[in-house]
Amino acid sequence: MYFRKYDIIITPMIHLKNVSKKYSRDSVGVENINLKIEAGEFVFVVGQSGTGKTTLVKLLIAEERPSEGEIEIGGWNITNIHQDDIPFLRRQIGVIFQDFKLLPKKTVYENVAFALQVSGHPTARIRESVPKVLDIVGLKNKGDRYPHQLSGGEQQRVVIARSLVHRPKILVADEPTGNLDTVNTQEIMEILKKINEFGTTILLVTHNREIVNQMRRRVVTIHDGKLISDEHEGRYRL
Amino acid sequence: MLSLLRIIRFAFQDIGRNIGLSFMTVLILVLMLLSVNTLLIVNLLTNRSISSIKNQINVSIYFTPDATDKNIDEIKKFVKSFPEVVEIIFKNRDEVLAEFKQTHADNPEVLASVEELSENPLGATMVVKTREPGDYAKIIKALNVPEYENLIEAKSFGDTETAIERVKNVTTQVERFVAVLSAVFIIIAFLIIFNTIRASIYTQRIEISIKKLVGASNWFVRGPYIVESLFFSALSVVIAYGLVLLFSGIVDPYMHVVFSETGILTNYFKSNIIVFAGLQFAAVFALTIVSSALAMRKHLRA
Repeated sequence: MYFRKYDIIITPMIHLKNVSKKYSRDSVGVENINLKIEAGEFVFVVGQSGTGKTTLVKLLIAEERPSEGEIEIGGWNITNIHQDDIPFLRRQIGVIFQDFKLLPKKTVYENVAFALQVSGHPTARIRESVPKVLDIVGLKNKGDRYPHQLSGGEQQRVVIARSLVHRPKILVADEPTGNLDTVNTQEIMEILKKINEFGTTILLVTHNREIVNQMRRRVVTIHDGKLISDEHEGRYRL
Repeated sequence: MLSLLRIIRFAFQDIGRNIGLSFMTVLILVLMLLSVNTLLIVNLLTNRSISSIKNQINVSIYFTPDATDKNIDEIKKFVKSFPEVVEIIFKNRDEVLAEFKQTHADNPEVLASVEELSENPLGATMVVKTREPGDYAKIIKALNVPEYENLIEAKSFGDTETAIERVKNVTTQVERFVAVLSAVFIIIAFLIIFNTIRASIYTQRIEISIKKLVGASNWFVRGPYIVESLFFSALSVVIAYGLVLLFSGIVDPYMHVVFSETGILTNYFKSNIIVFAGLQFAAVFALTIVSSALAMRKHLRA
């Protein structure tokens, strides 16, 4: 297991204890969040725009530090993670963004391979893993295309491939279907479901009522930065 | 080692895929280096002009015909003892007379009156050159002592004192102007490089943040920029120096007319190639590294 930065038992996969993020006195990202996500779970985080969902994602990948509380990822307390350790954390969490965040001057293959190159994986392993993961997301024949030559749905599949290629235990997706039409949304959700079935813990931030109600998974609702409900097999209730 | 090879590969991949930006960066660096080399040319030509003017200034000391060789030797030794003195040209009485006759060869009346005299009426002459025009006053003052009063007939300095003073002032002003110009050029060069690199990093800020989000360490993000800086610095110095040598070859024949010296600029740049090209490369590379580190600092924090 990758997360054993320190000798701690790895469960739960994500653990937030009384976490608050305050940007200023008047601007609160999240407030007093308590959340425990076990390995292999598929959890939706729902809420209206500006309620703190993205802040939560940023806290999980150490793009932001909590003002109060503690965060543990796979048993690794990242509350006050050192700047030098952030790359190690990010190499172990797959992250999917609404705006894709692909490197525009790199091909599909190179974008996916980059996630392995940064952590010093040998070239032979990269040559073996990248085509496999591109096959999983249905882009095996588009490895030499540049992001601008792909549709939105295809770009998002590249992002999924990139986030999967280093076999993360956690996949965090921030509005992954926000820029996609219904057909592409369904395809992406199918891929994510499959990934979850292979044992990857998924935390998916969305305000897409349809996909939440269709999947019938655990739903955590955030409103005004506070966690107001946490239901197993929940529905979108806002 | 694997990471280093990947960093080098990414750097050249970035250069190729951002060819427009790479071209503009090299172009600006070349233009900046050309300005610096222009300054070197201005400096060289100014120094040559100043030393040429200084060379034309000297003080002639005319001895009386009664001055003995012993007296003259003593004065010669005395003048030579000044560290400011760089050259003494001595002409004995016969040489002075011969020169006089040659100068007035087309004036038979003057020559006839000299011939009428049984003895050479002219005394020996000593031409003194000092390092700086300002040093002449010191020499003249030292010779204005009672024991030399009957031995020295005249000193030409009195007539040229104002001119020497003016040359001294002009050369000092020119030297100051060139120094200020150099300082201004260096500041402009620094600002150009800093802003070029900052603009280049700014256009790639999103890519930098994506690389960080995917788990790249700061060195993995910075590495290709360092390699690019190294490449851009070397390429721009080679291009700029090549252009300077080409320009020197073209203008050298014109310089020859003014300074009576062949290949003045070409020789100057060729003989100093290691120092000039080396320093310019080191300065550009250091500036690009510092500029990119400063410009990137903000984007690497996330």
